[in-house]
Amino acid sequence: MTVLREYAAGLTQPTLDSGTAGATARYDEVVGPDGGLRASWKGLAELAVSITPDDLRRVGDEIARALEDDGVTYTRPGERAGPWRLDPVPVVIDAAQWAPLEIGLAQRAELLNAVLADLYGEQRLLADGVLPAAAVLGHPGFLRVVARPSAVDPRPLVLAATDLGRDERGEWRVLADRAQAPSGLGYAMENRRVISRVQPELYREAGLHRMEPFFSALRSALLQSAPGDLADPRVVVLSPGSQSETSYDQAFIASALGFPLVQGSDLVVRDGWVQMRVFGRLERVDVILRRVDAAWSDPLELRGDSRLGVAGLVEAVRRGRVRVVNGLGAGVLENPALLPYLPAVCEALLGEPLRLPSVSTWWCGEPDGLEHVLDHLDTLQVRRIDGPAVDLSGLRRQHLVPMLLAEPHRFVGQQRLPLSQSPTWESGTAVPRPLTLRAFTLRYGSAYRPLVGGLASIVEDGVSIASKDVWVLKAEPDAPDQGLSDVLPMTNTRATTATVPRILEDMFWFGRYAERAEDLLRLVLAAHALAEDFRNRPRSTGAAGLDVVMGALSRLAGPSPLDGADAAAGLDAEFRSILVDPARTGSAAHAFDGLRGALNGVRDQLSLDVWRSLGAIDRATATVGITARSHLVAESAGRMLTGVLSLQGVTASMIRDPGWHMIAVGRYLERALQVCHLLAATTTLRRGMDVDREVLNAVLVAAESAVTHRRRYRGSVRPGGVLELLVADASNPRSLAFSLEQVAEHLAALPASTGSSRPERLVADLRAELGETEIATLVAIGGETRPNLEEFLAQQLGQLQRVSDAVAELHLTTGPAPRPLADLALVDSLEATP
Amino acid sequence: MRYAVRHTTTYTYDDLVTDSLGVAHLVPRSLPWQDVASYDVQVTPAAGDLEADVDYYGNHVTYFQVTEPHATLVVEGAGEIEVVAPVVPDDARATPWEQLRPLVATGSSVAAPPEAVDFALASALVDHAADAVEYAAASLAPGRAVGEAVGELMHRIHADFDYDRTATTVTSTVKDTMERRAGVCQDFAHLMLACLRAHGLAARYVSGYLATEPPPGKERVVGADASHAWVEVWLGGTTWLALDPTNDQEAGDRYVVVAWGRDYGDVPPLKGVIFTDARRSTMQVSVDVAPLG
Repeated sequence: MTVLREYAAGLTQPTLDSGTAGATARYDEVVGPDGGLRASWKGLAELAVSITPDDLRRVGDEIARALEDDGVTYTRPGERAGPWRLDPVPVVIDAAQWAPLEIGLAQRAELLNAVLADLYGEQRLLADGVLPAAAVLGHPGFLRVVARPSAVDPRPLVLAATDLGRDERGEWRVLADRAQAPSGLGYAMENRRVISRVQPELYREAGLHRMEPFFSALRSALLQSAPGDLADPRVVVLSPGSQSETSYDQAFIASALGFPLVQGSDLVVRDGWVQMRVFGRLERVDVILRRVDAAWSDPLELRGDSRLGVAGLVEAVRRGRVRVVNGLGAGVLENPALLPYLPAVCEALLGEPLRLPSVSTWWCGEPDGLEHVLDHLDTLQVRRIDGPAVDLSGLRRQHLVPMLLAEPHRFVGQQRLPLSQSPTWESGTAVPRPLTLRAFTLRYGSAYRPLVGGLASIVEDGVSIASKDVWVLKAEPDAPDQGLSDVLPMTNTRATTATVPRILEDMFWFGRYAERAEDLLRLVLAAHALAEDFRNRPRSTGAAGLDVVMGALSRLAGPSPLDGADAAAGLDAEFRSILVDPARTGSAAHAFDGLRGALNGVRDQLSLDVWRSLGAIDRATATVGITARSHLVAESAGRMLTGVLSLQGVTASMIRDPGWHMIAVGRYLERALQVCHLLAATTTLRRGMDVDREVLNAVLVAAESAVTHRRRYRGSVRPGGVLELLVADASNPRSLAFSLEQVAEHLAALPASTGSSRPERLVADLRAELGETEIATLVAIGGETRPNLEEFLAQQLGQLQRVSDAVAELHLTTGPAPRPLADLALVDSLEATP
Repeated sequence: MRYAVRHTTTYTYDDLVTDSLGVAHLVPRSLPWQDVASYDVQVTPAAGDLEADVDYYGNHVTYFQVTEPHATLVVEGAGEIEVVAPVVPDDARATPWEQLRPLVATGSSVAAPPEAVDFALASALVDHAADAVEYAAASLAPGRAVGEAVGELMHRIHADFDYDRTATTVTSTVKDTMERRAGVCQDFAHLMLACLRAHGLAARYVSGYLATEPPPGKERVVGADASHAWVEVWLGGTTWLALDPTNDQEAGDRYVVVAWGRDYGDVPPLKGVIFTDARRSTMQVSVDVAPLG
């Protein structure tokens, strides 16, 4: 039995509970009422019907793997970033079905743009009563600071998103308009990329519209949005940061379009122009594709507590010196109270009937609407016009009704659309699940063009639980993709380069955390090898050496958080904690968290291979298991190390821009710190020749210098030789001397370096001091210790920390953060002096 | 009356500020009963960027940016304004208050323009606290003439609430004012707005100045020579009635209107964003409203 046959049979066979009274049959996306495939699937019938559960299971696994490799995440509010979910069965819509939807979407965007122009201009719609004033003025998306005669945005709506669902007859209805800062295009593109990779036969056979031309069109639409007539306008994507819900989507868009992904702190306003900090200079920004909600985008004139915005942005917009896409006031369109009036508004503004109907909605600010909603509380969903799309109809009647009566204009009632269903892969079988479709419409040239495709969501209790790719089939095999034959492919897309201090900061920490993880993992492996040999011979010299190496580990990874009971579990519990306990500052997991945070901030700058490496690290982490077992510790640490090394490999093929140099500065500065810490923990105390030999051997292994040492000193392990190799020998890439040389070289390549900048001078001092240091002096004995070595390492560590601080101060700071002029500006606190 | 108005705000910081951006509502409105003969806003150090504009409510607004490093910022507005007492027709005062509720559509309602609807809605600093609703109900008897009803509400606020600077903070809400039974002009204005809007009336927050020349032996008028705030109630059409609950009187020719909005948040005399490592700042304000006869 194949998956789709089984699915179809399940739909047509009456089941025991199918007689649920009053339940409306959903429109099925794949199977028609006669039990046969729908027209859109007929062309795919042969292939599609032959898919077996095993095929689909394999595809499902491949999808999960591919999404993990690409690092695709979605962050639900208040949670850690979780994996993006994609169902293997696409939504397929044929050309005949798509055509009316496309016309309807284009008209709707045209209409919404005209609504914006009116509400922020003449307000004829309010004066004539076509739209009730309270529905508009009571919505927080209506921004008075841009509703001024001085501020004219000719085309406030550039990219609209429309959430759609089908009714029981299969007709599309608009559930909601998204105009503020629509998300999802990046996810849609990623979905397509993954599905085409894992379902190649189906994909090739389908004859569907590729999405790339739409991205080219979006890119050129943004460039053309620039005010005035600029030859080479600068476009940026303004993100609320890597913690935001859809940060993956934002980074994807930025890198697909070739525009830098920036945050509010990267931008400033000067003389009414928006400027970006580029290597200490300011360069003008002409167009901002905004992913920050309007209310948060300017602490001067909007929310004063926002850290995500740019002070003065609203003024720059009003003066027409920067174009924000979509316009700052566009959020007013997300108001569901507008829906019942759109047919009349469409007649008034466009002189034609509204083509794409919305889900039936009643605004309670109108007496008839309120009465209808109160009479149908059992069947309608009730929403605030200005809040998240939460259905309030679950509230008890005695709470809900007084709320509605007290401020009726803040609520709407909406019909519950049955939505269509589509086979969805769930625990080994395809089950029917309801879905919604997000469509995207772009102002391109003089008209609105919908994306021929979209992003479908499987919904459960109103929440999206997974996504589906949307395939719109071509009418003719040789029809141009997206119906856009005139769009130029994005051949001349400039690679975005690390420019702003924040990006350099993330690069610096990328380098540091990756190196920290690498060095720690090497030491864990060296310690583990020693433990394998000596853990059961507690009084041996090897066991004493193991103690020293474990001490070095806890110096690097922080003291063990294990309490008595856990500590009894022994070395393996400690190894496990050092590898996977994210709460332990200094653990590998902690370094990986830091690494991930830094990488998320610069996602648009990096190759997708980075995420594949992180995926490998995640899988290695998962192999450690809950209870520590010795062989799993070694295996897991080894695989983590492979992941980190492949990450270092990715940087090797990066463009040699300032970002790349900053990664190297971070990496070698960290290596210098690590080698000093390691030596300080292992070589400054004397413990007898035999124990010292065990310790030094482990140090050489951890510092990846054992082979060289053996070649050079023929197995005679002495402190002098080890220090020579790890401190002074500039030809050993693991030595302090080499690391400092690299720091100096990469620092010199940074734009803000002058040759005499403070970080450069500090590194030069360090190298000079190192050059004057004799290894023979360092190993000199003073009782139980080597006082010269102790002092030398302490000095180096202190100085390296100063280098790090100086790098941050010169290269990574954006200056002080903005804050409100005075929170105490209460009018009556003013002193009167007549 | 003609007045010379000077409103000076001085910020002093304990460290350099590299960048100050500000928005000032200082230039008074031109109105049928108020003529702004001259007015000028000056920023020291000189603002590299200073732009005058008119906001959504028709108020004059000044945007500025100072990029010269400074430890002291002075923003001064000064000019001459001629005011006569606005006249509110008796028939407008006599309208039953229920007919002036823009959000309530009934057969006898006066058709409300969008401006009136805007000022009938709750706003950020004027929420419809339950006890304010109840407090106001006593004055808003069914069928009562609006002038009489809102006038009485003003008397009661004046009588029931103490003027007390210590009772108020920046974060004071209508609910706080109701509980403490005390506040300053801004709190009383917000309270009265809440009382009126909660019952469906449209009312706006007015920011301005009150000139005082206390005649010998007479009670000092609170709020003299400082920024002041009062309310205007919509009486239908384009007619508004200005009431000052702090001083229990209608606003006459001693009131200079600077700006109006939904609440204080729409029209603070000065707000801004600074870029600095400074930890402390002091603010000094001096307001002088001198009658010129």
